[in-house]
Amino acid sequence: MRYVAIVTRLFAGIALIAAATSFAAEPVKTNSMGLSKTSVFDTPTPKAYHEKAGLPGPNKVLPRAYSGAPPQISHSISDFLPITAQSNLCIACHNQPSQWGQKRMKGMATPIPPSHYTDQRNASGKVGESPVGARYNCNQCHVSQTDAPALVDNTFSSGRAR
Amino acid sequence: MTVSRRDFLKQSLVVSSATATGLLPVSEVANAAVKSAESGWRWDRGVCRFCGVGCGIQVATENGKIVATKADADAPVNRGLNCIKGYFNGEILYGKDRLTQPLLRMKNGRYDKQGEFVPVSWDRAFDEMEKQFKRHYKELGPTGIGFFGSGQHTVQEGYAAVKLFKAGFRSNNIDPNARHCMASAVAAFMQVFGIDEPAGNYDDIEHTDTMVLWGANMAEMHPVLWMRVSDRKLGDPNVRVVNLTTVSNMCSGIADLEIIFKPSTDLAIMNYIAREIVTRNAVNREFVDKHCAFAAGPTDIGYGLRGTDKFDYAAEKDTNAKELSMQLGSAEAIAQGKQAGATVEQKNRATPDKHWLITFEDFRKGVEPYTLDFVAELAKGDPDESLDDFKAKLKQLADLYIEKSRKVVSFWTMGFNQHQRGTWVNEQAYMLHLLLGKQATPGNGAFSLTGQPSACGTAREVGVFSHRLPADMVVNNPDHRAASEKIWKLPAKTLNPKVGSHFTKLLRDIEDGSIRWAWIQVCNPFQDTANANHWIKAAREKDNFIVVSDAYPGISTKVADLVLPAAMIFEKWGGYGNAERRTQLWREQVPPPGLARSDIWQIIEFSKRFKLKEVWGEQKIPGLKDEGYADGKLPDVLTGSAYAPEASLYEVLFATPDNKKFKWPDAIANGHENHTAKLLGDHWFPEKALFEEYAQFGRGHAHDLAPFDVYFRDDVRGLKWPVVDGKETHWRFNEAYDPYVKKGSGFDFYGSAFKLLPSGNLDGITKPEKTSIAGRAKIFFRPYAAPVEQPDQNYDMWLNTGRVLEHWHSGTMTRRVRELHWAVPSAVMFMHPADAKSRGLKQDDIAWIESRRGKIKAAVETKGRNRPPRGTVFVPWFDEGVFINKVTLDATCPISKQTDFKKCAVKIYKA
Repeated sequence: MRYVAIVTRLFAGIALIAAATSFAAEPVKTNSMGLSKTSVFDTPTPKAYHEKAGLPGPNKVLPRAYSGAPPQISHSISDFLPITAQSNLCIACHNQPSQWGQKRMKGMATPIPPSHYTDQRNASGKVGESPVGARYNCNQCHVSQTDAPALVDNTFSSGRAR
Repeated sequence: MTVSRRDFLKQSLVVSSATATGLLPVSEVANAAVKSAESGWRWDRGVCRFCGVGCGIQVATENGKIVATKADADAPVNRGLNCIKGYFNGEILYGKDRLTQPLLRMKNGRYDKQGEFVPVSWDRAFDEMEKQFKRHYKELGPTGIGFFGSGQHTVQEGYAAVKLFKAGFRSNNIDPNARHCMASAVAAFMQVFGIDEPAGNYDDIEHTDTMVLWGANMAEMHPVLWMRVSDRKLGDPNVRVVNLTTVSNMCSGIADLEIIFKPSTDLAIMNYIAREIVTRNAVNREFVDKHCAFAAGPTDIGYGLRGTDKFDYAAEKDTNAKELSMQLGSAEAIAQGKQAGATVEQKNRATPDKHWLITFEDFRKGVEPYTLDFVAELAKGDPDESLDDFKAKLKQLADLYIEKSRKVVSFWTMGFNQHQRGTWVNEQAYMLHLLLGKQATPGNGAFSLTGQPSACGTAREVGVFSHRLPADMVVNNPDHRAASEKIWKLPAKTLNPKVGSHFTKLLRDIEDGSIRWAWIQVCNPFQDTANANHWIKAAREKDNFIVVSDAYPGISTKVADLVLPAAMIFEKWGGYGNAERRTQLWREQVPPPGLARSDIWQIIEFSKRFKLKEVWGEQKIPGLKDEGYADGKLPDVLTGSAYAPEASLYEVLFATPDNKKFKWPDAIANGHENHTAKLLGDHWFPEKALFEEYAQFGRGHAHDLAPFDVYFRDDVRGLKWPVVDGKETHWRFNEAYDPYVKKGSGFDFYGSAFKLLPSGNLDGITKPEKTSIAGRAKIFFRPYAAPVEQPDQNYDMWLNTGRVLEHWHSGTMTRRVRELHWAVPSAVMFMHPADAKSRGLKQDDIAWIESRRGKIKAAVETKGRNRPPRGTVFVPWFDEGVFINKVTLDATCPISKQTDFKKCAVKIYKA
């Protein structure tokens, strides 16, 4: 496997050099460039997209973009928002410190990890008993996913985690 | 089951007394993890590419690629936190359609404006760029060219661009997209304090107990600061947060008080609070008498529109005519002490920034009409809220400001800055804090947040504006020009004293043909400028040459004649300055792909193509009238100078003997490459040399930067300027913290601009003799002024625009990150369900949004995170497929020239 990866990388490298040095005057159609494959004078008709996954429980855990990236939310969230000072339905389910280090059972909420119980500004290194206020607005880091197709492919790779 | 806020607080209290389970500092824990799991990765310090918060991050690379990033646990800004965008600082580099070769529009092997893009070499690209430049420059002179810069330019890139344009080409037609972002903040800083940028810093959040947001959706636009605000709010029952906005947004979830007001009536609410401060005898007399002065200015200043209908579409003419003459509505008349229905000729359009001293008594008279009854009636923004409820909220707001024991921080961003009276409303924030003496101390202060990562560090501090030079200096001040010419070793009178075109005017100039060559870097002006139909057509159809340096194809790329592939943030050395004056530098982490090159390389390499004799001879500057200059002309400065006519701008401006003393390679690189230095040749280190040269402007002038190498020290996570004797400054103007404050003064508003003023009353100048108010800050009286375009029977809704959490600006980077795109795939129109219903629309329907200037289509969203009151729609602008700036109005604050993207009139109907 490792060997295959190296060879692929080598070929990719060669392809890149080739692309960089050859100036085959093949024109690029302006209207095929960018995210909207239209003329800048056009008015495209957008599509409405929807959250892909249903309610919490049966959905598969989504892959992380890389080690340390915030997990994407694997269920719909529109019914649980907004988060207010009075009500945070995310914490209501995911606040499960007793599950740290336990094997996860199917359908169980992913426990909020110990890092989120650590006040890094005022008490770095201490893990408390509840999530810290700075982590209270879950949707500032964790997002759910719609059924939209990717506009452009992305070749980012963490090398290991994806 | 829900966790109530009380439970949450209770649990939070437990946290503080909880037994510690991990005792190592977080950074060490993290480092240990890194060592074991990701042994092949190289980690180095960076700064987030996105907003003005300036979070510290760590960047991991392996085999020349970024493989991970993480929030820097030791960065005081964010202490190990990032927002969802921040986590994708790595992935933004790897969209499959990165621009990796120069592209020139060609037909039959020759440049042709109507041709398609053909990949060419850098030499071919620069050949055409030079040829077109010289053609237009020869004919039109320095005013016939333009440069669109950015609040995302690195400090060094912005500096190189300014130097090439102002010192080399002698053109002041260089302006950043930051004009759209915080020019109003700058204008107010200069008018109130005589020096730019905030007194306080982000630690004010932890020090204060009252935070008021005025047109700042921090939860989405300054997410990590909002995490700090939320932490403060949830951890202390005494803390109060108020959210003033025209559209209910995510911040309201944490806020104690949400105040929905009508567009532009923030001006009136401010004056209501000021009136309360005065009538309740709450003015901090000692502070005001010792440190402040009262001021006023003209009100007939127009709306930043063009003042000619030559280029107007038929439908635009009625709004645009108000630029010259406006009929006062009844509220505006009361607010300005004038006759309702009076027609006011806008006589001070050319001198909107003029101001004079007034007495406290005049100030009191100015705010007198702003009673609770008057302001509540005018300002209530939600038709479904009762007037009594709204009044109670306004009173509560005034109480919070005035309560003696409370510390108050006011935050604002685009709600204030993108405002037809943006400078005024910024000044009003200082008005409140100065009247109360709640300014420039820990936990007290009016705090202007900024939008872009280096709007402060580059656009403002370097002075990448059509009127500015580094360190708050301006081109129309002879002393400032002389000081700059000295540092730059230029012959006297090389610099052009005539202010150039601001960002929106650069586009207007392209439309009227007065600019025919333009270079765009690190921004997307054809998507991000209001009233876009005009500018796109002008760029595509007129005889001009538009160069766009970018990493990805966007709207501006598609409009361009030549596209130059740009290196992205971690593919080059650079520095950014955030909203709390913190300068942060980083190393090149990975090589740029293909033939992509840093913007600074592009600027400096292009300079090699110009000889002094082509630029420093006599030059025509239409309209130039200045002491010591022949009308309409810049003098020949080459003849008799120490420079050879054949010398290149590269040698004279960049690879100077002094700059070449900074050698590449340099030990500070610690194994990192520098593609810019390698490609330029001559073994010098441009990013370090230019940083040190630039730092000469600010050192000793209250803008002191530390030496370049200091910013790379292990114990440094950026430093807040002024950095004096190795120490950063936490709160400016306060003797306890700021070494520039005169000893024994307590507070010293030492900024020197606009401190010598005539005197008068609310109506104008009565005593032309000038008085010095050195060391004082100004408390302005600024009245309510109605927006130039308001909903009517035909265009019956307000349109407001802005950003979303998941996407950055025009989306060219973040929409190529799969996770962010899937989260927010397109811009939708946020709308009140009743407004949708009355137009036969429902959730997800596609609707037309039409203004006098253009129309586009968007999907209807009635349940989302933004909940406009009836009568208003909100449309984010990141999505080029929902091109909302074809609809928006290009009115600006007449003082700051910053566009008001927050209010114009539209009609909505089913598509």
